[in-house]
Amino acid sequence: MENAQLVSLSRLTALNRQMAIVANNVANMNTTGFKAEGLLFEEYLETDASAESFEFSDRDVHFVLDDRSTTDFAEGGLQTTGNQTDVAIKGEGFFTIQTAQGDRYTRNGAFTIDPNGQLVTHDGSAVLSDGGTIQFSPEDTDITITGDGTVSGNVSGEVGRLQIVRFDNPQALNRIGDNLFDGDDAIRIETPRVSQFAIESSNVDPVLGITQMIEVQRAYQELANLMGQQNELREEAIQTLGRVRVNV
Amino acid sequence: MKALQTAATGMRAQELNVQTVANNIANIRTTGFKKQRAEFQDLLYQDLRRVGSSSSDSGTVVPTGIQIGSGVKFAATSRVLSQGPLDQTEQPLNVAIRGDGYIAIQLPDGQTAYTRDGSFERNQDGEIVTLDGFQVDSGITIPQDSRSISISTDGQVEVVVGNDSNKTNVGQIEVVTFINPGGLEAIGDNLFLETAASGTPQTGAPGEDGRGDLLQGFLENSNVDAVAEISDLISAQRAYELNSRVISAADEMMQAASAITN
Repeated sequence: MENAQLVSLSRLTALNRQMAIVANNVANMNTTGFKAEGLLFEEYLETDASAESFEFSDRDVHFVLDDRSTTDFAEGGLQTTGNQTDVAIKGEGFFTIQTAQGDRYTRNGAFTIDPNGQLVTHDGSAVLSDGGTIQFSPEDTDITITGDGTVSGNVSGEVGRLQIVRFDNPQALNRIGDNLFDGDDAIRIETPRVSQFAIESSNVDPVLGITQMIEVQRAYQELANLMGQQNELREEAIQTLGRVRVNV
Repeated sequence: MKALQTAATGMRAQELNVQTVANNIANIRTTGFKKQRAEFQDLLYQDLRRVGSSSSDSGTVVPTGIQIGSGVKFAATSRVLSQGPLDQTEQPLNVAIRGDGYIAIQLPDGQTAYTRDGSFERNQDGEIVTLDGFQVDSGITIPQDSRSISISTDGQVEVVVGNDSNKTNVGQIEVVTFINPGGLEAIGDNLFLETAASGTPQTGAPGEDGRGDLLQGFLENSNVDAVAEISDLISAQRAYELNSRVISAADEMMQAASAITN
């Protein structure tokens, strides 16, 4: 009886977290370069040490454990913006961003230029090229980014090539917010494909988000009902079994 | 229930998104207006199981952990600085900038503002001023009895005075560029101010060093595209609705949980 409630509780907790992930996906429906997140579950077997010592061995109790969150790295739609410092990566890869904590990676190519003439993100962190930061001269008014990521200004000429990297296991990337990922062992892509004047929109599928949400909600309600019934069962058992028979 | 707060951040962000779109649509016929676009970023993640933490005594590590995000935040409203369409007005003191740059305007408080709205007029002293009466920076005066005013693509203002058959040069309208024009601060009335983010103004003759040309008798219309704005509005509105659905779903889940003991 206790086990039934504890197993239900483990599932409720996991569903609660799944709901938080669905909510985060839906909230980031319009976030540039955002990648939807999912949650995987696994069974957790209770270790029953003394199972063999009984004539009828205990049945294993299976709990629910949320095991890992996964990221859907599918490409989001390409949205043209008309801004000359906006870039979208076609196919796999991440832009390399220099932050105070070290190099970070993003699919958000909505860049801008800081007062010193560097290509930066909207947070002011420098976008890295193969040879360091990307520096324009104050006279540059037209910026061209070619399909292979070469950046040039109309006055200063070629100023670098965007450093676009990939990972052997992108699932191991750590999300740190601000559209950034943190990861080790970045591998440089020699022939990236990018397009200027466009950004990659979020790959959250609203239909999927809502169906997941309904699924989670219903599962949660059913479990809550089940727990209510278990509760009644126990209550009845206590009342029935606890009644003292007075048969003289 | 974390989902409640997360969805609330989503609703707030979409509300600001709708505000940005509304302002763009409101300025669809504003001379020299540059549309804005809302930029979002995801908020911090909560690590329930860290990537790379050890999963056993023999040194195996968790390949992918559990990270739960806490929603979305509004990062920036970036300006889309593409050229707006040029409308012919045939007013001699209307100028449009074809290409990059701004025209400096002297504000009454002594500050210099920058604009792409070239709908100028003459004031009582013959000076070229904006529709609000602010002086166009180089301070050009058109003589009283001048007949025709011509402004060349490189900004030279020439007039024919009285019965003189030759043109007289009365000044030059200069064009100012910034390394990061997106960093200019909008103060309304189609005016922008220099900020630490925009960099220092680079003043010079129109058409040189990547500066735009001046076109007399034209005005630059706003670069807002009605169709694009309406589709942005629809997507923002739907996103708002979806977030509100998440809130009610989370609410029902909590209700279900509290009903267990009934």
